Order: sequence, then C-alpha cells, then structure tokens
Amino acid sequence: MTAEPGDAEIRWQRPSHLLLRARRIQTALVTVPAALAGGIVAGTAGSAALGLGIGLGLVVVGLLCERFFARRVAAWGYAERRDDLMVKRGVMVRRQSVIPYGRMQFIDVTAGPVERSLGLATVRMHTAAAASDARIPGLDKADAAKLRDQLASLGESQAAGL
Amino acid sequence: MTAPPPHPVPPAPPVPPADMAAWHRLHPLSPLIRTGRHLVALGILVLLLIFANHSGNNDDFISDIVVVGIVLIAGVISWLVTRWQVADGVLRIETGLIRRQSLRFPLSQVQAIDVVQTGLARVFGLAELRLRMAGADSSGGRLACLPLADAERLREQLLAMGHAAARPAGAAGPASAPAPPRPERVLFRVQSERLAGAIILSRPGAYAGTAIAVVILVIALTGKPGIIVPFLVFGFGIVTSVWRQFNTEFGTVVAEAPDGLRLRSGLVQTAAETIRPGRVQAVRLVEPLLWRAFGWCRLEVDVAGPRQRRENRSEGQRLRALIPVGSRADADRMLGELLTAPPRPTHPAPAGARVKTLLSYHFLAWAGDDRYVVASRGRICRKTTWVPLEKVQSIRWVQGPWQRRLGLATIRLDVAGRRVTASIQDRGVAEANELLGELPDLARAARSRGLVS
Repeated sequence: MTAEPGDAEIRWQRPSHLLLRARRIQTALVTVPAALAGGIVAGTAGSAALGLGIGLGLVVVGLLCERFFARRVAAWGYAERRDDLMVKRGVMVRRQSVIPYGRMQFIDVTAGPVERSLGLATVRMHTAAAASDARIPGLDKADAAKLRDQLASLGESQAAGL
Repeated sequence: MTAPPPHPVPPAPPVPPADMAAWHRLHPLSPLIRTGRHLVALGILVLLLIFANHSGNNDDFISDIVVVGIVLIAGVISWLVTRWQVADGVLRIETGLIRRQSLRFPLSQVQAIDVVQTGLARVFGLAELRLRMAGADSSGGRLACLPLADAERLREQLLAMGHAAARPAGAAGPASAPAPPRPERVLFRVQSERLAGAIILSRPGAYAGTAIAVVILVIALTGKPGIIVPFLVFGFGIVTSVWRQFNTEFGTVVAEAPDGLRLRSGLVQTAAETIRPGRVQAVRLVEPLLWRAFGWCRLEVDVAGPRQRRENRSEGQRLRALIPVGSRADADRMLGELLTAPPRPTHPAPAGARVKTLLSYHFLAWAGDDRYVVASRGRICRKTTWVPLEKVQSIRWVQGPWQRRLGLATIRLDVAGRRVTASIQDRGVAEANELLGELPDLARAARSRGLVS
C-alpha cells in the first residue's frame, strides 16, 4: 500500500467484518449452482470425467473470486472529515472520492437479501454529478442509519446551490 | 388571439400588466403548427401513395384524409381547452379535455426561458415559449404558439417578474427599477462559410465524405448504380446528421444581454436561449486535428438543468456550442466573458507519463488558481475543460494498475450533470495527493465566496 494520499492524518473507518462473509455467501450462491449445472450438463452430454472437470473448474473460479473479493473488502474505507466525506476503494483500480457534505443531494440505504440476513446495509451518496458515486457497503444496520442521519443533517447545514 | 395588447409604453415594468392576469388562449394557428411535423410526414406519405399506384386507389387516399382530419381536430380541441395566465408571480397553464391538467410555474424558480421557432412557425411568424426549471425532468412549461413579438415581450416580462420575485422584498429598491432594454452587444457571430467548411472537416463530415467516395468508387468499379440502393438508408442517416448540425448551428449569434448571454441560432428551426453566467458549470474548448490547421476551435458550455431532449437524445447529451466554429481570438474573448481571468493549462504532465500516454502526452496539462481548474487532454483532438471550483460536486483520485507502476494518478473534478468531468490526467502521485488534499479546501472557499457575493 504505497503512496495513498493523506494516509497519515486521516482516520479511516472500515466496513463491518461481516461484509466479507456476505461476499462469500454471494459468491457461493453463484458458484455452487453454476458448478452443479455445468457438471451435470457436461456429464450427461459428454463423459462423466468431463462433467467432473467442468464442475471442479467452476469451483476453482469461485474460489479465485473469493480471494479477489477478500482483497476488495479489505480495501474499502471511509472517513468523515470536518467538511467532507472521503471514501476509498478498489484493488486493481484504486479510487478515493471526496464529497463535500453540502453537495449531497440525497442518501439512500439499501440492503439485499444476503446483506439483510447478516444485518448489514449499503449507504449510497448522490450528488448532482452523475459521475460521483460514493457508496459504503457492509455497514452495520444501526451504523448505516446513524451515518445516513448524520450526513443528512451535515448536508442540510452546509447545503450550497448549484 | 384575444386582441393583442397594445404595445405597453415604457416597456416591461416588473409589475404584471393588468392584461396578463386574465386568461389567455394561444394563437389559433397553434394546432396546425404543433401537428406540423406529422402533417408534413403525412402529406409526403399521401403523395407517395398517389404516385405509387397511378390508378389512384381512392380508399387509401380517403383513409389518409381521415387520419389528417382526426389529428387536426384533436389539435383544435387541445387548443380550445388550453389557456394560460400570469398572476401572483406564477404562470399557470390549464390544458386537457379528458385529463385536465393545471400547471403552475413559479417565476422565481425559472432558470431560463427560450423562444423557439420551428420552420412552419416561422412561416406564420409564430414562436413557442419554453420555460426551463431546475428540476430533473425536462417537461418544463411550453406555450405553443404565440406571435413572435408577443412571445419576446412575454419572455422579457416573465423574466423581470421572476427576478423581482426572487429578490428579497427589502432589496427591491433601485436594482429592480425597470432597466430600459439596452441594445444587445454582439459578442460573436458565426460565419456561414466557415461553419460549412468546419462541418465538412469534422467527424460527421468525414463520414459523409467517405461514404460518397465509396459510392462513387463502387459505381465506377461495377458500373451498376443500382447496387447502392440497399445502403441508401445509411446515407440518409449520415446526411440528416450533418444537416441537423448545420441547421442548429447556422447563424449562431451570441450577444450580451442584461440577464446573461443571449444565444440565437438555427436555419429552419430557430432557437433563442439565455445563459446566465452564474449557471455555467463548465466550459470546454475543442480543437480537432483538421481545424487546428486553420486555427479554428469550438467553445461549448455546460449549463445546469436539463436540456430539452424532445428533439433527439444525442442533442441532449451534447453541450451547448457558444461558438460552433471560430478563431482562437473569438474563443478567448468569449472565455473572458464567461469566466473572469481563466488560467491556461501550463503544467505539462510529468515525463514519466510519456510511456503510458504515448499518443496523448503532448496535450496533457493542467493549471488552477483559487477560482478555476483547467485541464486539457486528447489524442488528436485537444479538449480543454475549465471548471469553476465553486461548482465542483466531488473530487476523485483514481489510480489504475499501470499508473501505479509508473507512479502516476489522475484527479477528476465532477460537476453537475452527466456530461463533463475535468480530468487532471496522469500526474505524479505526490502531486496528485497534494491536489486531493488542497482542492476540497479551495472548492469550499470558492463556494462560500459564491454564497456571499
């Protein structure tokens, strides 16, 4: 982790450790049926060995994805500063966004079925610019609601016109 | 038209003239013009049908007449039930026979008012008034159609009332005194020959030229002109796109008016709109390869609020060209008009970036002061984007794997809308980090300054 901007003075907060579990469940939910279906189709159409090979191959792909997601989850971070919110993410392409509180148009909190089962939620910030997408996945539900209210009130007090 | 009001002497005080508070109808010819496009299409269809079967199959003809009749009657009914009124600083439009709609447009919220004339409307001297609100959906108010003079005057009055309503009550002193309409100072006028040349040398022009060359080549080689018939559709598409560009940008005139820059353009369909300097989100200077040989360039602005997307989608995504084609001197003058003392992109990218950006390195540069950031990029077409720090919505720091190896990073500044991002590309990591630290503070300072003034 070389040369991340302003690492020294920023106190990064991290998503919940349950996020990794959520990502693992999501990967498994895709990988296992895909491997089963691929294996069975190839096994009945071709030979049993081919079916086994394809099934195992898909499982390996799923495991690689899991490694990748683990690194991605580890890269997420956000920091509430005095006037703006910073979000960093990404492994291959690293990104950091700075979003002034006054520029936030609205904030939504979403939770998919897997996230919900683990009590997680994603907070998403929207500005008037379509390009500035900042989201923080895998926050504890209570934390997410708190963050949303906090951002909303900060946004209100610092709101600026277009 | 309900008795066109006599020309009001001393023009346009912000108090609504008594006659505006009454309910008005649109011009009786409006249905004809609103359905004009369909009418023309139908007319062509009818002619084609008549020519297609020389015997004159009467059934088809009659059915077409019936369709035209229904469209016209629907238009007339819509005209009959539509009326508008200005009262208490609000423009109200009531319309609809079965699904009755009452639209309210508070004038203090109006971003801009455009006067648009379609081809048919020009024949009858009518014009359409479009109100642009700040909201995200483009269905602003439309008053179609009014006589041109009335439309212009109504526009002035509505804008004046909007200003008066927007200003706090205490400040309605000398500032709100009815300013006599100053003669507009023309800042730029596009040269028609140059516009035609520029379009030929631009990308759609190049497509058209290639297509024509291919057609000639194919005919010369095969000797059978009939072979190109299946491809006529593509040819038609190219021609219409070139024509559309010429049509919208022909005769562009930019003038300085009390409420901002007045922009008028169009050959068949003319449009007039006002750009308030405070609403400019970004300015972009585009210099394609072939144009540079002539010292030409294009200056575009990005303005808050939706562009009308009724005409077509691609139009909505393009920026408004203040200078469709002009010399660098024109562009510099206009730039000075839009921004105060804009910086020039003077810091070239670090030498380390040369490996990654072999084809675009020569155009990568940026500069910034406490008000603006300017960044240029591009391979063969140089695009220089100015963004007022006051308008920046978010700042992003991005580093791809290739950039990480070279020790580079890119800073992007986003402004409202989905079209423009100023991208300070491929800077050294230390510089980019420093920028990410500084720019938010500079932007905040610029914002608070903007709030005060």
